[in-house]
Amino acid sequence: MLRYFISLFLTLMTTMVLAQEALPQKDTISGKYSYGLRLGVDLSRPTLSFFKDNYTGLELVGDFRVTERWWLAVELGNEERKQEETTGAFPLYTYTASGSYLKVGGDYNTYTNWFGMRNQIHIGGRYAFSTFSQTLENFRFFDSNRFFSPNEFVLGSEASQEFSGLNASWLEFVVGMKAEIFKNMYVGISARLGHLVTNTEEDNFKNLWIPGFNKVTENAKWGVGYNYTLSYFLPLYKKVKKDEKAVESGPK
Amino acid sequence: MKRLFPIILLLYVFVHFSSCEKDDICVEGDTPLLVIGFFDFADTTLEKNATTLRIRELNSEEPIDGNLEPEDKDIKMHFDRSTTDSTGIPIRISESTTAFQFILNSSDGESEDGESTIETGNIDTLSFNYMVRENFISRACGFVANFDDLSADLSFDSENWIQDIKVVDTTIENSTAIHVKIFH
Repeated sequence: MLRYFISLFLTLMTTMVLAQEALPQKDTISGKYSYGLRLGVDLSRPTLSFFKDNYTGLELVGDFRVTERWWLAVELGNEERKQEETTGAFPLYTYTASGSYLKVGGDYNTYTNWFGMRNQIHIGGRYAFSTFSQTLENFRFFDSNRFFSPNEFVLGSEASQEFSGLNASWLEFVVGMKAEIFKNMYVGISARLGHLVTNTEEDNFKNLWIPGFNKVTENAKWGVGYNYTLSYFLPLYKKVKKDEKAVESGPK
Repeated sequence: MKRLFPIILLLYVFVHFSSCEKDDICVEGDTPLLVIGFFDFADTTLEKNATTLRIRELNSEEPIDGNLEPEDKDIKMHFDRSTTDSTGIPIRISESTTAFQFILNSSDGESEDGESTIETGNIDTLSFNYMVRENFISRACGFVANFDDLSADLSFDSENWIQDIKVVDTTIENSTAIHVKIFH
């Protein structure tokens, strides 16, 4: 932290010195910005895969700096999740959703860094698309009448039934932040709110969980998600800061 | 750090909403009951009460009784020994046929040796045949059973109180309309 105070102090010193001169000068706070590609991986999905029996997932993330504040962002992932639905203690059915997704969009950095810092608090949007399949592992018939089967629901089938070729697309609102922990090394966190645009379903089974989108709630098209990323910034070229202001200084 | 606070708050809200389980209770559907209407044999358009009717599965002593069901249930099955012109009964999902004894004027009498009770009502045996079909309702309900190709058979005995039966709806998807008419 001290380093930045010193650099700030030094730069301010420079302007003070410049103020002594008669000629109008440009503000020299402006530096050069690194442009390039940042590649990373989501840490939450492998962690969940390790600790949970019913889930495996991986997400790769990448973003590319387009302008001073805008980044082009992409996420690519694959997830599989098994879920048993119950009512109270009574099992109803078990299904597995499995598939891949791609999210493309942009992030806008709202955070104004101090000199030399390269952190981000960003908001952005994505268009996301997922192709997946759902496998119904087993099901029982829900029946509120307990006359013939007082202790459990009657078993329908234990033969797994696959619903393949399903797809869905949605728009996602993203809010998050990225902090540079070492040079060019970033940790990030983001939360996502998705809204389904298309969702192709089978007649006799609904899409209950979509890879990348998460749980599909009844009569609502909203989904929530998050990621914790670790990524590396690959500087490709540098550009001079664009919003350089000419500072009038000195007596006329 | 002040700038981070709204972000953390927003994250908290996201996590909070993602853990809300709105659709945990099944309200959207249910496995329907077979609804039977009782009509006059002479004038088949006229509803006619079946008096003190007891219904039990063939080879079972346990009568169907809606009093055993939860009080807040919308559609209950037949109340034991009630007088009614229409009633609902559950049918077995695990089988493709369920046979019932329909007992008119049901009451308990003493057996000849006076040691046990016997049924003194008029017992008619009806069996229903059908195909079970699973119908996905929602996340909370999962699958319910619907029934197709419903047919009914009456076993004839010396004194049938049931004169005729007619399946008016071969598909059972809800418990709101009559599926089978019994004429007596």
